[in-house]
Amino acid sequence: MDSSVMEQEQSLLSNENITKAKELISFMEAGELEKAQDCIDDLAEIRENEMYQEIGKLTRELHDSINTFGLDDRLADIASDEIPDARQRLAHVITMTDEAANNTLAAVEDSMPLCDQLLSETQNIETEWKRFSNREITLTEFKELGGDLKNYFSTNISSAEKINENLTKVLMAQGFQDLTSQIIKRVISLVEEVETNMVNIIQLAGTKSNKSDLKEKTEEHGGLDGPVVPGLEASGTVSGQDEVDDLLSSLGF
Amino acid sequence: MAIDTKMKILIVDDFSTMRRIIKNLLRDLGFTNTDEADDGITALPMLQTGKFDFLVTDWNMPGMQGIDLLKHVRADEKLASMPVLMVTAEQKREQIVEAAQAGVNGYIVKPFTAQTLKEKLDKIFERIDG
Repeated sequence: MDSSVMEQEQSLLSNENITKAKELISFMEAGELEKAQDCIDDLAEIRENEMYQEIGKLTRELHDSINTFGLDDRLADIASDEIPDARQRLAHVITMTDEAANNTLAAVEDSMPLCDQLLSETQNIETEWKRFSNREITLTEFKELGGDLKNYFSTNISSAEKINENLTKVLMAQGFQDLTSQIIKRVISLVEEVETNMVNIIQLAGTKSNKSDLKEKTEEHGGLDGPVVPGLEASGTVSGQDEVDDLLSSLGF
Repeated sequence: MAIDTKMKILIVDDFSTMRRIIKNLLRDLGFTNTDEADDGITALPMLQTGKFDFLVTDWNMPGMQGIDLLKHVRADEKLASMPVLMVTAEQKREQIVEAAQAGVNGYIVKPFTAQTLKEKLDKIFERIDG
């Protein structure tokens, strides 16, 4: 049985009520209607007092709950700092993926003509080489083939070097996946925190019995800052490899 | 001075993409003998087998973080002298100092270039030989 119903029953069966009720019956049986009316008024008053007490209790609970909420700085922090931060972090993710895609595309576009050139030159040389093997070639043509081969070798070496360099660029561009994931994970944990707080607000507004238990901001990232986002540098961060090197050399490295 | 490119290198990072990048860069520099682990907890027993000569590690990883892995390595008699290169997105001054105090041999911040990796490796080997 609901505890509030039990409370109501207990207060209805209180000694005060029972005494008044007994008095009421005896006055009515004796025909003393004025005194009977007084008894009814007294009973109503007892009832009203209980109601006022209950309303008072509810008001205090509501007041306390609102105070708990108002004192919680996390919500204010989230709204004023962390949501704009998250926006900037996500914008940085777009910049990084954009750079990675463009660097990759540039390296591929730069390499494709080199591959095409290598292919067509190799095919030409192969044709000439077959003619040479079949002894279908004149001395002049043979001398030309010698020159072609010399050019072919030097072009081939520099093209292969260039393609290798471009492939390294493609490789390095993939680093965005690690860095953007670290940033996105942070935003996800912020969204989860907002969600928890929203649920608490709904519970507070919905029923009086659900106490708000605001989740403390947890050190989910082991106290680490993760990748630096332009415009959101935490104090005491270095701006790049050069500053890392300076700092380490100042420490005797 | 000749760098022994046959040395066995352990690459520790929780992101497989980053492990692949480092592995490929090392291969490009002639180091083909590499293995991978995704955090300190996995890496430490691998190192304790004594099969590795060099450690490249990230900092921020679930399980055991890179800085703790470094401290374990330095505290282990058999591993204490192993060169450790940290490659991480963490760039707070106090963290770099912490890594230096824990005995890191090189510190690279992400995003980095192939050239930076080569320079730091060269510097580490120079110091070891010198």
